[in-house]
Amino acid sequence: MPNRDETTKYLPLSEATCYILLSLVEPLHGYALMQKVEVMSQGTVKIGPGTLYGAFTVLEKEGLIVKVDERDRRKSYLLTAKGRAVLLEQVRRSEILVRNGIEITKGW
Amino acid sequence: METQTVRKFKWFWAWQDDKEEAWLSEMAQSGWHLKWPAFPCIYTFEAGAPRDDVYRLDFITSNKDYQDYLQLFQDAGWVHLGSMGGWQYFRKTKQGTEIPEIYTDPESKMQKYRRLLSLLVIFFPIYIVLLTNSPADSTHLIYQIGKLLGGFLVILFGIAMIKIYLRMNQLKRL
Repeated sequence: MPNRDETTKYLPLSEATCYILLSLVEPLHGYALMQKVEVMSQGTVKIGPGTLYGAFTVLEKEGLIVKVDERDRRKSYLLTAKGRAVLLEQVRRSEILVRNGIEITKGW
Repeated sequence: METQTVRKFKWFWAWQDDKEEAWLSEMAQSGWHLKWPAFPCIYTFEAGAPRDDVYRLDFITSNKDYQDYLQLFQDAGWVHLGSMGGWQYFRKTKQGTEIPEIYTDPESKMQKYRRLLSLLVIFFPIYIVLLTNSPADSTHLIYQIGKLLGGFLVILFGIAMIKIYLRMNQLKRL
């Protein structure tokens, strides 16, 4: 299990990275992920191929995701234990922010 | 019936990728669609109906998994028109009022300029070393011209790095 320092150094994640990690709880390839993120985020976050390709490269290098399949020149990735730990930490952090936000912007 | 093609030469510096993208879109709106780019800055266009197309350029330094890279763009609806010295030319037709992008957030777009910068940063010191190591017989005209050219290139590199760095900073956000 990765220790806290190893996970918190990546925070805060960008919205796009957050959604990418959230999507990879199950194996997914590039374009399928792009579509899933658009639906999950209710259209607020779109991921372009340039952004996604770069993210895949970095996330794989840092050990947050791992390649599980390659078919027809499409790689599928999955979250690693480290990836899950980072995501969990980010969600915890975001939750505090959102709670503050909802309270303060009540009735706006 | 053969489609009419035309070749144009137009110089764009590395940091003027947005201008290049805008120019290609303008050509498309006039009915000239990029067929392929060739080095150095020679564009082949073919005639067709005017289209509201978006052109985007990516810059890559490694050809590792190039086919996967292209497949991802293709799946996302981008047509690959060719490459020119690391630059990848993509086109997508607008659907509605939304402008399609290959980089959807500023941080990832910065990666493209970082790659460009890293390439220049590697070559810059090499040029300096070459410039400061002149052979014994350095009064000969050839060497003088060589030094002048070298000096000019060093300055150009310096300007390029600054311009790209500024372009990167334009993308910074809160």
